[in-house]
Amino acid sequence: MTTKKAIPYLFIVPYLIHFLVFISFPVLFSFFLMFNKWNIIAPMEFVGFQNFYRLIHDHLFLQSILNTLIFLIIHIPLQIIVALFFAVLLSKKLKFIGFFRAAYFLPVVVSGVVVTILWQQLYGYESGLLNRMLISVGLDKVGWLTNPEIAMPSIAIMATWKNVGLYIVLFLAGLQTVPQYLYESAELEGASSWQKFRYITLPMINPTMFMVIILSTIGGFSLFIEPYVMTGGGPLNSTLSAVLYIYKQGFFYYHMGYAATLGFFFAGIILVVIFIQKRYIEKETG
Amino acid sequence: MRKIVLIILLIPFIVISCGHNRESSENGILYWSSNNTDEINFAKKIVDNWNSKNPERKVKFQPVPEGQSSEEVILAAVVGETTPDIYSNMWQGDVELYAKAGKLVPLDTLPGFLPFIYERCDSEVVKEVTSSDGHIYQIPWKINPIMMIYNKKWFHNIGYNNPPSTYSEYFKAAEKIKENNMQNGYVNKWVGYIEVEVTWWQRLFDFYPLYLAASNGGHLIQNNKAVFDNKYAVETFSFLKTLFDNKYFPRERLSARQDPFLSNDIATRFTGPWEIAHSNKFKPEGFQFSFSTLPVPGNHKGNVFTYGDTKNIVIFNTCKNKILAWQFIKSLISKEGDFELLKMTNQIPRRKDLTTDKEFSDFFNDNPEMRPFALQAKYVKGPDNSPVLKEVFDAISQQFEECVVYGKKSPKEAVKDAADDVNLILLQQ
Amino acid sequence: MKKLFTYITLIIGAVVFIYPFWWMLAASVAPQTSIGNLTFLPESVSLNSYSQVFSKIPIARSLFNSLFVSLTITLGVITFGSMVGYALSHLEFKGKNLLFYIIIFTMTLPFQITLIPQYILMVKFNWVDTYFALIVPYFLSGLSIIMFNQYFKTIPRDLIDAARIDGCGEFRILFRILWPNALPAIITVGIITFMTSWNEVLWPIIVIRDDKLMTLPQLVTLFAVGGRAESQLGVKLAAATLLAIPVIVAYAFFQKYFIQSMASTGLKE
Repeated sequence: MTTKKAIPYLFIVPYLIHFLVFISFPVLFSFFLMFNKWNIIAPMEFVGFQNFYRLIHDHLFLQSILNTLIFLIIHIPLQIIVALFFAVLLSKKLKFIGFFRAAYFLPVVVSGVVVTILWQQLYGYESGLLNRMLISVGLDKVGWLTNPEIAMPSIAIMATWKNVGLYIVLFLAGLQTVPQYLYESAELEGASSWQKFRYITLPMINPTMFMVIILSTIGGFSLFIEPYVMTGGGPLNSTLSAVLYIYKQGFFYYHMGYAATLGFFFAGIILVVIFIQKRYIEKETG
Repeated sequence: MRKIVLIILLIPFIVISCGHNRESSENGILYWSSNNTDEINFAKKIVDNWNSKNPERKVKFQPVPEGQSSEEVILAAVVGETTPDIYSNMWQGDVELYAKAGKLVPLDTLPGFLPFIYERCDSEVVKEVTSSDGHIYQIPWKINPIMMIYNKKWFHNIGYNNPPSTYSEYFKAAEKIKENNMQNGYVNKWVGYIEVEVTWWQRLFDFYPLYLAASNGGHLIQNNKAVFDNKYAVETFSFLKTLFDNKYFPRERLSARQDPFLSNDIATRFTGPWEIAHSNKFKPEGFQFSFSTLPVPGNHKGNVFTYGDTKNIVIFNTCKNKILAWQFIKSLISKEGDFELLKMTNQIPRRKDLTTDKEFSDFFNDNPEMRPFALQAKYVKGPDNSPVLKEVFDAISQQFEECVVYGKKSPKEAVKDAADDVNLILLQQ
Repeated sequence: MKKLFTYITLIIGAVVFIYPFWWMLAASVAPQTSIGNLTFLPESVSLNSYSQVFSKIPIARSLFNSLFVSLTITLGVITFGSMVGYALSHLEFKGKNLLFYIIIFTMTLPFQITLIPQYILMVKFNWVDTYFALIVPYFLSGLSIIMFNQYFKTIPRDLIDAARIDGCGEFRILFRILWPNALPAIITVGIITFMTSWNEVLWPIIVIRDDKLMTLPQLVTLFAVGGRAESQLGVKLAAATLLAIPVIVAYAFFQKYFIQSMASTGLKE
C-alpha cells in the first residue's frame, strides 16, 4: 500500500487498538467469565451454568433492579415536569435570565459526591435541616433515609435537584425553536395558555423530550455513588441499586464470575428498556 | 513520515508499560506494619533494634500504603504479586481466604514455631487460629477488645454508681434516660447507639461481641455449617430489638453527625481501647468516662467474653527467606517486643501472661484506663475461620436489620433465616 | 402581576438551588457543636475543620492527581477524537461505515459489562495503583469522535482540498487547518471530557487503593464514608467544600461555555 493510502488507517489505528484492548476484549472476557467462578487470587474454576441458576434465584438482585426502576419512575417524570416548568418561565422576556440559568445549572457541574454528602445532612432524621424546618412549622419529622418506603424517593428527589438544571437548558433550547407565529395564530383563534402549551409546545419539543428521557434513563441505571455514600444500600435494601449490588458482588465478595453474569444481564435490561422507549416515543412523533 | 513512525512506536509502548517494582531487598526482608502512627513508631524501634544487631540480614520496614482500608490494599498487593514478606496487621477473618489460595506460608512447618507459640498463647487461642486444613497460617499478635464505654457523670446523675451489667439493668437505665429526655414528643438522648448501617463489618461491633458475651465465646460457623441458630443469638437479637422498639436507641446514623458520646447525646457505646485516646483528645471539660464488660442475659454464668478485633502476623509465600522472617517475627512478639507494643500503641498483645507477669501488671497499675482491657484479654475471641466470612456477616446483617432495626421479624425467625442463608453460602463455595 | 409571580417563583427556585451550598460552606467554618443548629450564619468562623482535613488526608495531592489525570485524558480525547473524526469526515478508506457503527455501538454499551474485565486487565498489566489505570482506558472516547466528525463535516471541502494541492500532509491539515477552525468543537469536547473525568468516582475506587494516587472526588468519598474524619461533621463538610471549589471557580468564569457545551450533547443526536 502506498504511504498516501495508508494514512487514513494510521489515523484510526489508535482507536482500533484502544477498542480491541478496552472494549472488545472486556466484552468477550466478560462473556467467558459468566461460566466460571473466580475470586481473583485463586485460579479460575469452570462452573458451567451455575452462575445463571444463582442469578435466577437471587431475590436480592431482583430487588436491586426493582429499586432502580422505582428510582427512574419517580426521577424522570419529576425531572421533566420541573425542568419544563422552569424552562417555560425562563423563555419569556425577563431580566437576569443569565443569573437564574447559572444558578439552576450550578448543581449540575458540582460533583455528585458533594451533593450526596450535603444532602445526607439535609436529610438527617434527628437534626437535619429539612426536619428542623418541618418541626419549626409544627409538622412531624420525616424519616427521609431511615424509612424504607421513602428512602429511594428521597434519593430520586436529590438526583432531580442535581440534574434538573441541565434539562432546563435543554428544554430552553428546544422551546426557542418553536416558531412564534404558531402561538400568534393560536391566540387569534382564542386558545388558552394551557391549550397552546398542550397542542403547540409539547409536540414541537418532542425531540428534546426524547433526548431528555433517554439521557435520564441511561444516567438513572448507573445509580451508584448516592446509595453507596448515603445509605450503603439500606434501609432494608430499599436503596440497593443494581450497580451497587454488582459492585458488592465483585469487589466486596470477589465473586467475579457471578458479577460478570449480573452485569451482562443488567446491560441487557437497559438495552431492552431503551429500545422500548425509542419505539414508544417514536410512535408518538410518527 | 518520521512523525508517523514515532507515533506508532509510542502506542504499544504505552500499552506494554511497566508496573511498579516489588521493593524487596535481595538478602533482607520486607516488613509491612499498619499505618497507624503509633504502630509505625513501634515498628521502627523494633526494626532499628534488629538491624543494629543483624547488619548482615537487614529488615526493611514500610507502613502499608494508605488506602480505602488496609484489607483492600493487601488484596491489591496479593493480586499484583507485590506483597511484602511479613505483614503484621492482617485481620484474622481474612486469613483463611488467602491461606486457601496458597498465598501464605504454613508457619507450623518452620522449625521452632510450635513450641514458641504454645509458650506465648493459650492452647484455645492456638486452636482458634488453626486453619481448616490443620496448618497454622497466622500468629496471634494483638487485640482490641470491644467493651462498653460509659459516661460516668451521667450514670451517677440517674442514680447508678456502677454501669449496668445485665440486659434488664440496661433496660432500666435506658428507661430512665428516655423519661428525662423527651422534647416535642421526640426522644433526643439515648442510653446507647449502634450503627444501623447494614454493611457486614458493622456487626463486628454490636451483634458479634454481644453474642460472644452471651454464649461464652460461641462459634458462628463450625465444620462448614452455621451453628449460631441457638438461644444466645436469639437473646442477643432480642436485646437489641427491644432497645430499638422502645426508642432506647436512635434509628438514625448518628455517625454522620459529630461524636454523640462526647456530646452527651448517648450514655454508653460498644467500642475498643482506641476510644480512650480519641475521647481524651476531643472530650469537653469535666467529661468522665470508663469501660466495663458488655451486658449479658440475666441468667448468664461465667466470665463475659467479647470480640477482640484480632490482628495477626503472616508471612506471604513470595518470601524468599522464611527462616529469617520467622527470626525477625520472634523479636516482634518476644516479651520485650510485646511490652513495647503495649507502651507505645496502647494495644493489647495477645499473650497468656498478660495479667500474671510483673512487668505487665505494673504497667496496668500505672495506666488504670487500660486495666479493664487487660482483664478482658483472656476472654476474647477472634472471628471464625472461613474464606467467605464477609458474606456470612452480610447475611446475618440483613436479618439483623429486618428484625432488630425495623421490627419486621421476630428474633427467632431472623436467626433461623440467617442460619439458612449462611448454610447456603457455605454450600456454594 | 403575572410577571411578579414569575420572578418570585424564579427567585425561590434560585434559593433552592444555591442555599444548600451556602449551608455547606457555613457549616464547614462553624464550630462543631453548633452545626446542629445552623441555618444561615455560623456562630463564629474558624478554619479548624479545614486544617484537620489537610492533616488527615493528602487532599492537595489528590487535587494534583485529578488535575493531571483529567487534563491528560482531555488532551488525549481531543487529539485522538479529532483524528478519527477527521478520518471519518474527510478521508476515504475501506470499512469507514463499519467503523462508524462500531463507535455508535460502544457508546450504547453499558459499562456494567466491561467494568470487571477492565479491572482484571489493569491487574494483568500491573497498572493497579498507577496513573495508567486512570488515564488509558479513557484516553479515547466515542462521543468525541462523533462530535468532531459532525463539526468537521461543516468545514468546506475546498479548504482541505486546497491544502492538499499545496502539498500538506494529512496530519498537518488536521492540526494546522482543522483545529484552528473548530475551536467551538474543541472547547465543547474539552469541557465535557474534563468534567466527566473529574467527577468519575467508581473507576478510581476500583483501580486505585493507594491514597497517594487517589483523585479528589475519590478521596473525599472515602473520607466521608470511612472513619478517618473521626465523626467530625464539620471536617467532612470541609472536605466536600474543597471538592466543590475548583469546579465552582471554573464555572464562575466560564459559565457560558459550560452550559453551552454540556447542553450540546443533547442536541446533536
